[in-house]
Amino acid sequence: MRPNPPLVRYGLLAAPIVFIAVFLIGPLAVMFAWGFWERVGFSVRPAFTLEHYAAFLDGARLFVLERGLVVAISVTVISLLIAYPIAYFLAIRVKREVARAVLLLFTVPFLVNYVIRNFALAYLLSRSGPINRALIDIGLVDKAVDWLLFSDFAVFTGLIASYMPFMIYPLWLSLAGIDRRLVEASWMLGAPPIATFLKITLPLSMPGVFAAAIFGFVGAFGESAVPIILGGVGYQLMGNTITSALDVLDYPLAAAMSSVVVAMMLVLLAAWYMVFDIRSFLGKITRWKFRP
Amino acid sequence: MLSGAAALAPWSRALAAGGGTINFADIGVGDPGDWSKFTKATGWDVNLVAIGNAPSAILNVLIAGGGRQIYDVINIVGGMQKPLVEVDLIDAIDTARMPNWQKNSYISDYLAPGTPGFDFIGYKNQVYGVPTILQGDSFAYLPDATGPLDSYGALFDPKWKGFVALEDNFTTAGQKTALYLKSSGMATINDPANMTPSELKTVIDFLIEKKREGQFRVIWTGFEQAVNLLTSKEVYVMDAWEPMVFVARSQGTNAEYARPKEGFLLWAMVAYIVNNPDRSEERTQAAYDFLNFLLGPWYGAQITLTRGYMTNPASVAYAAAHADQFSTDKAKKIAAIDANVKSKFELGGTWQNRWPTHIREYESEWARFKAA
Repeated sequence: MRPNPPLVRYGLLAAPIVFIAVFLIGPLAVMFAWGFWERVGFSVRPAFTLEHYAAFLDGARLFVLERGLVVAISVTVISLLIAYPIAYFLAIRVKREVARAVLLLFTVPFLVNYVIRNFALAYLLSRSGPINRALIDIGLVDKAVDWLLFSDFAVFTGLIASYMPFMIYPLWLSLAGIDRRLVEASWMLGAPPIATFLKITLPLSMPGVFAAAIFGFVGAFGESAVPIILGGVGYQLMGNTITSALDVLDYPLAAAMSSVVVAMMLVLLAAWYMVFDIRSFLGKITRWKFRP
Repeated sequence: MLSGAAALAPWSRALAAGGGTINFADIGVGDPGDWSKFTKATGWDVNLVAIGNAPSAILNVLIAGGGRQIYDVINIVGGMQKPLVEVDLIDAIDTARMPNWQKNSYISDYLAPGTPGFDFIGYKNQVYGVPTILQGDSFAYLPDATGPLDSYGALFDPKWKGFVALEDNFTTAGQKTALYLKSSGMATINDPANMTPSELKTVIDFLIEKKREGQFRVIWTGFEQAVNLLTSKEVYVMDAWEPMVFVARSQGTNAEYARPKEGFLLWAMVAYIVNNPDRSEERTQAAYDFLNFLLGPWYGAQITLTRGYMTNPASVAYAAAHADQFSTDKAKKIAAIDANVKSKFELGGTWQNRWPTHIREYESEWARFKAA
């Protein structure tokens, strides 16, 4: 007797669903709940209070949230401007074998521990580091440039170096999946290259752009090591301020801040889901759910 | 002459019980590199596990990580009794079960009940921890760039604008700043170790003002990072730990550790017995034997030598008398470190307060400083 196909299908689905429910949704639900619970000594007690959200929104941490948003959005935009031409070149202009080799090379930074990677960057950018020495040796500056390290520049450099390579992959996937006949048709109809890019290639690659933007934004927004190592005098992003609250066992405040961050991420993901057909990210469908 | 069980030293009793393994959680400072002396004396091995020193990390290890069932002893920077006792994570200590306790004059001199130092080992008149390390912190500087410095005022001196680093810790950098403001008469602060919210606000406002003037180059968070700041001459004056200066010197940097006229930030590493109601009496006795070993002369000498901190008074004499274990140079180094730290305690200052009364305000104000 053959097994009942729906039962097999549901059985196969059950394991990952249970896993996600227990180990992903469960902790998130606890976190959301704790944000409203009362703090009693060093523990928490079920209740409904907005005290922790008020503490978050009234204090210096709101400024951290605002700065975190500005930094994450800026880093995402700059990273897109760097990653898109690289992905375009790899998807359109070079042979697939070469593209694959180059894409493999972009994984190398992730093989190095991120703390060590950032310390190496700090060395490069320091007052006595090789960049400053080179600038002095070639006579561009008289003394070491201070703002290379422990500055906005250093944090942006660190974040872009950390997350831009991640963004190349969805962009490349999206661009490589575009039906070349559409581009060729545009040429044959007399559209100049820039018009072809703006009217054909860019719109069709938008699912990849949005996916890449989410990769970059989520990473930069939640980052904590880069601001600590490269940021200088207390450069804080949300990850740092949440950790700081945990250090004094203020779990409800940390939970409230984390809930806000997760909610913002969910809004972004929901927007992506609403606007794009997820299969279009893989280049299989060249249309949006809602035409622009 | 005594006979039978009554004559057995605690270590011998444990040996007679057959031994096992003491699980010892430590923040990376309490490892002498060799536990064979303890094992030989008691029959118990030691399994050392590195843990973080942040309160949240410690509580996570003991509560969420099941540490109460795993660890027998944890060795961290002391003064954490309030949170640890209130959530029932550590046991009160019976000092009579450790012969080396009574021999340790540093405990009676610096950590006696009724003194600020007691807050590092006790809570509500009860001893909960055994001091394994004693130290006084100030700041490091590069004398070739600054000349001699003897006041925390150097951290805020416009002459070193942009070449100063602070530790990312409100109980160190914040307290040192409070000590400076109080000593210099720039602010009225009753107790730099336990400030009121308004006193704390005064300190943080001062730090923010200095930050906006560009006084500070960076707030450091780790040992290696801090050493690199000195050796690369990225900063000239740094709120720091003394071993960082030792490491910087070993790498060829002329660095000094200041003796500020305002005094030192005093602190102690403390070993606690983890509260585990299911622990057998044999294991509890072994934990006490282990604490007694941590108070002993060989362990103290070894830790002073390798970590640069003062431990117990017997360590100096032990190192001098055991040339087979500590060469003359090493014994001299141990004696010098011990004398140096002892002089810090004699000068005084303020005891670090790991868990001030208004700790939530401390964290919130420190976040305000960092975000400013």
